Amino acid sequence: MRPALLLLRKDLLVLRRSPLLLGVLLAYPLVIAALVGLVASYANAKPRVAFVDEEGLPAQIEVGGRTFDVERTVDRVANEVTLVRLDRPEAERQLASGRVVALLVVPRGFVGDLRGMVRSPRLELETTRGGVSVRVAQQVQALVYALNRQLQDAYIEANLEYTRLLLRGGTASFLGREVDVLGLERAGALIDELPPGPRVERLRDFVRTARSALGETDDALRATANPIELEQASPTGRTWVLSAQAQAYAAALTIAFLALLLAAAALAAERDEGTLARLRRGLAGPSQLVAAKAALATVAAVALGLGIVVAFGLIIELGGVEGGQPWARLPLVAVGFALAGAALGALGALIGALAGDARTASLVAILAALPIVFLGLVPREVAPAAGHVSDVLPFAHAFRLFTGALFDLDPWPALLREGAWLAGLGAAYGVAARFAVRRLPA
Amino acid sequence: MTALLSARGVSRRYGDREVLRPADFELAAGEAVALVGPNGAGKSTLLSILAGALESSRGEVTRAAPVGWAPQRPALYARLTARENLELFARLAGDYAAVDPLLEELELGSGATAGTLSVGMRQRLNLALALLGAPRVLLLDEPTASLDPAQRELLWERLHRLCGEGGAVCFATQNVEEVGRAGRTVRIEDGRLLPA
Repeated sequence: MRPALLLLRKDLLVLRRSPLLLGVLLAYPLVIAALVGLVASYANAKPRVAFVDEEGLPAQIEVGGRTFDVERTVDRVANEVTLVRLDRPEAERQLASGRVVALLVVPRGFVGDLRGMVRSPRLELETTRGGVSVRVAQQVQALVYALNRQLQDAYIEANLEYTRLLLRGGTASFLGREVDVLGLERAGALIDELPPGPRVERLRDFVRTARSALGETDDALRATANPIELEQASPTGRTWVLSAQAQAYAAALTIAFLALLLAAAALAAERDEGTLARLRRGLAGPSQLVAAKAALATVAAVALGLGIVVAFGLIIELGGVEGGQPWARLPLVAVGFALAGAALGALGALIGALAGDARTASLVAILAALPIVFLGLVPREVAPAAGHVSDVLPFAHAFRLFTGALFDLDPWPALLREGAWLAGLGAAYGVAARFAVRRLPA
Repeated sequence: MTALLSARGVSRRYGDREVLRPADFELAAGEAVALVGPNGAGKSTLLSILAGALESSRGEVTRAAPVGWAPQRPALYARLTARENLELFARLAGDYAAVDPLLEELELGSGATAGTLSVGMRQRLNLALALLGAPRVLLLDEPTASLDPAQRELLWERLHRLCGEGGAVCFATQNVEEVGRAGRTVRIEDGRLLPA
């Protein structure tokens, strides 16, 4: 392996003498990682939903004795979508062109049904086909759920008011008619004035039982409305940008770009400079050449990966971010960086040998790196085929290994499983690169 | 005479294009052979195959002595200095002791990286790399191109000395005057070796 080590030393010296290249190689993947982060956060951005008010909602609605400010209520509950008020034709036009992802329609008669409390008022939802429609439907369901929660309290309060009327008696408005209700308490008082007897006693028993039962109605009604109540605690843990996932993605993505590009360009440069022919003359064989380039990628991956983890760790420590940085796992993740660097370096060497010259190799490496990374980002549940392709590429394994090594309670299963994958892939790409180097014209 | 290097039926093909047709070649101890022919005739391909820098599509090459090779376009690392280039290849060839004498002889002591050297200095470095490993056979592709007259003379002196000591040289050239310095001339045209 001495020739491979000598060539590695030479490559590191060449890299040190190319500060601009080194700077670009470091900055480029970090910029890409930041852009991926922005795209990922954009995926969580609020979709634009058209709000079509055919009813002509008033500024305020009174339901069950409570007054709702329509605008404020809708704004408060529409956390996950951006509602845009449009008329129906414009909303349909924008839905067709994709400027809005859904139509939420308040049909005529909505307020009457709402105030009447006899029939459930209806909202209509129309979404685009496929894409984010499932997510939008879920978000609109969440919006309706939140509205229902607001109205529920008013309905329950109104129903309890009726219950209290039955209990204490009084005057109330029901279906637009004023009614005078005797109430159980007053009924009891009237019964007490009657001459005693078994029939009067039965009536007194009934009134006592009914008063006791209605006294429990308050809690029972609220419990029936919410059989299971979800209590959300205030947010804890790291923000997305400092999350374990972002840290592992940043490292995997940066290493993928750097290792592929470095190995591909370094191998192809041997041909560009004519030194490949000189080395072939018994000085360094194809295996040693591929090993040298994979080792170059490995050294760069370990240095850069540890740099990213340490930088993240310092931010987390200095910022007092919850969760802390698992410093004790640094040696484990360093092993992961080395394995990922070697596998990606072997793939890079293959690209370099197939491309022939450094310029083409660099371009092909960049073109190859993007789909390799994005295939690894596509969830297997969304596109199983992408998952299968990603299995034979190092990125997704590297990401899972980094996450496991840094944050799993027991890091060994991920380290062994994904480490074996990376070692196997590295060996396979290395053998392929060796054959490609042998066939490469001098 | 002892053949220090011999090739039997060597040829080279790139796809459908045969750049070197099956050829036999022999280089005996003490011999200086000039390889002549028009551009693209196959001179560099033959020298690369003889040096082991290029695999022949068919045939075989037997090397009975260490071979040094200087390609037409200097094969060196542009971002390393002349010393660093020599040291790397000397370590790979197991001849580190040759570094300082070669740097002195070929006046390559500059600390500049090879990519910034003059064309002539790069050619001298290219020749210095060919001389690593104490070769008894030198295969040189247009070795005097870009050399100044004094350096050219020094090179010829070295080559004659090598032949006188039982070594051998084969060089490709387009220069008629240089052909006269060879004991034998081999002509190559359209990938075919012809007697001169």
